[in-house]
Amino acid sequence: MNATISSKTAILAFALALGFGTLANAQEVKQQDTQQLRTYSVGRESSIIGTVVKFDSASSTLPMGAHVLLQTSAGQIDVHLGNAKVLLAGHLESSPGDSLRIVGEPLALGDTTYFAARVVQKGALAVAVRNTKGFLTTPASLMTPAQKEALRGVR
Amino acid sequence: MKRLLFTLSMAAALWSAACSGNGIVNPPPPVGKYTLASLNGQYAFMTNGESFAGGANATPLARVGSFTADGTGKILTGVEDVNAAGTTNLALAIIGGSYTVNADGRGTLTLQLAQSSINFGITLTSINDGLMIDETSNANQSSTGSGNFVKQSAGSFQVSGIAGPYVFDFPGLDASNSPESFVGEFTANNGTISPGFFDDNDNGTFSNGAFIGTIAQDPLQAATLTSFGRGIALIAGQNYVFYIVDATRVRFISSNGGMLSGDAVAQSNTVPTSVASINSSFVFIVAGSSGSGGVTRVGRFTANGATVTAVLADTNDGGRFIKTDTATNASISLDPANPGRGTLTFTDPNFPQAPGTYIFYLNSPTQGVIQEQTANKGGAVDVADGTLAAQTGSPFATSNITGTYALSWSGLSLQNGGGFSVQDEEDLLGQVAVSSLSFSGAADIFQFQSGAPVPDLVASGSITIAGDGTSSSSSNRNTMTVKLVKSNTTTVNFVVYFVNPQLAFFMNNQDANRTVAGALQTQQ
Repeated sequence: MNATISSKTAILAFALALGFGTLANAQEVKQQDTQQLRTYSVGRESSIIGTVVKFDSASSTLPMGAHVLLQTSAGQIDVHLGNAKVLLAGHLESSPGDSLRIVGEPLALGDTTYFAARVVQKGALAVAVRNTKGFLTTPASLMTPAQKEALRGVR
Repeated sequence: MKRLLFTLSMAAALWSAACSGNGIVNPPPPVGKYTLASLNGQYAFMTNGESFAGGANATPLARVGSFTADGTGKILTGVEDVNAAGTTNLALAIIGGSYTVNADGRGTLTLQLAQSSINFGITLTSINDGLMIDETSNANQSSTGSGNFVKQSAGSFQVSGIAGPYVFDFPGLDASNSPESFVGEFTANNGTISPGFFDDNDNGTFSNGAFIGTIAQDPLQAATLTSFGRGIALIAGQNYVFYIVDATRVRFISSNGGMLSGDAVAQSNTVPTSVASINSSFVFIVAGSSGSGGVTRVGRFTANGATVTAVLADTNDGGRFIKTDTATNASISLDPANPGRGTLTFTDPNFPQAPGTYIFYLNSPTQGVIQEQTANKGGAVDVADGTLAAQTGSPFATSNITGTYALSWSGLSLQNGGGFSVQDEEDLLGQVAVSSLSFSGAADIFQFQSGAPVPDLVASGSITIAGDGTSSSSSNRNTMTVKLVKSNTTTVNFVVYFVNPQLAFFMNNQDANRTVAGALQTQQ
């Protein structure tokens, strides 16, 4: 398990960690809701604030991708962060003890649910790991105009 | 159809892996009928994948182009158009290059551009076409992706060479780098696209309707039309570059407003106009994006007029596997206003709130493209599309699943590169000889996080046949196990749906660290 995201190509930028951990509007998903929660809706979004217990950029927990286990006032919550490369591109590193704010909502995966993050915020640094329709973003979504121009070198 | 000699496949099945003595296992010398002369002429190629260049982050990448092979190992000329997440590099001249072809049809392809080169692994499926994997890994660029190449007919290299009705499937990204699937049909006549019809799923939002367009010579690269079959097109308001394969196939890549690419295939005038004339079993495969990440779905059904029975499907949604053994409210219908366009619906008991809905466009009575339009109260459950093909040649058995096949897959897997684990693109291309439902051969794999491809893995495995899906034991599946050996061993398990003995679609149905789908395609 990787406890942190490390970058081979960039100097990581960090913002001030949040100094508190609360669970705001987190919803407990009932089993019968799962089929209605297959698609993302910003109207159902909630915000989770908690302390990182464990971060894994390539977790064996479903769905495939990066996960963070957050300690909140309501207990521990596993959050799916999508593609860790997006966090890397956004220079957002997550280590045990860090405080994170997650905007997202529970989604169904078969007959189970998981908390799908759309925005991951650490201090003043926020990275969108999903778009408003719930589809995972890619590092390309975070490119600056200069970075897009640099792609003219791709062959 | 030229099938590889049975004795050859028997000999290939007896291959044994050779160990180099340093813990690296290499495949034995290839055997088969292919030579450098098997790749001779002008081919239109296309890949979809990912690139890493210039210190930028990994970026989705699509390329379409044309190269000319001389039959002796040299690439003479060519041109390609590249779209990296919406940033285009158009009409890049291919000034030379080289290639190899082993006896088994596997080989390498290097295309020399002005300042750099791009590298591919290839597997011939005939002297007219083959599969390819982008294996570029040099100081300028790393890129991966899966695709294919098809021999071009220079006699069609004119605007009027694109004539008649076509069905198309252009998956990719919209201008915001969100997933998009754009499918439909149009009729071309001397550069004019008369009203066609499209179905679009752009980031979960469905739309459809009529569109018009144009096909023309590129005024900036006029000579590329007669030299390479290359031109420009406007389709439903979006600009594309096209490459003519022949009158029956044209390859497109968008040149503004996103990254879409795919083929338009001529539509036969024999496509069914009445649902009553549809009496066949079909296999379908779709792949794309869901809220969980990557999604693949392979299935089959039997249509007897509007009545649909024997629906089976397997889904891998971000590593979650869902097996569908039955369906209710299954039916199929045709759109009387748009030939070949139809709708397949069924209710999967696993998803009772989101009935499965698929739009298809048939280009012949037996083949077409398919776009998933399953939705619930929140909207589209995914953005996914793929292929629909009539199922023939059953029962599938040891006697007809035999010979040599190209093996390919593409998708996402959890990978570790330089101590950093992440989900990233995985592409594999190889060749196997199948005998008695066991197979052996060789393959290249590129797990993109590692930064470099791994060539010449020993590929072996087995296929288990459990029917064509219409038996009473509907929970049975055809399966395939692939074992890959180099310095270590990886085993991947798949569920397999045979279209016919020469073609099968598969997706992994175990191992939550992978979401890949692919095809097993006979060599001719």
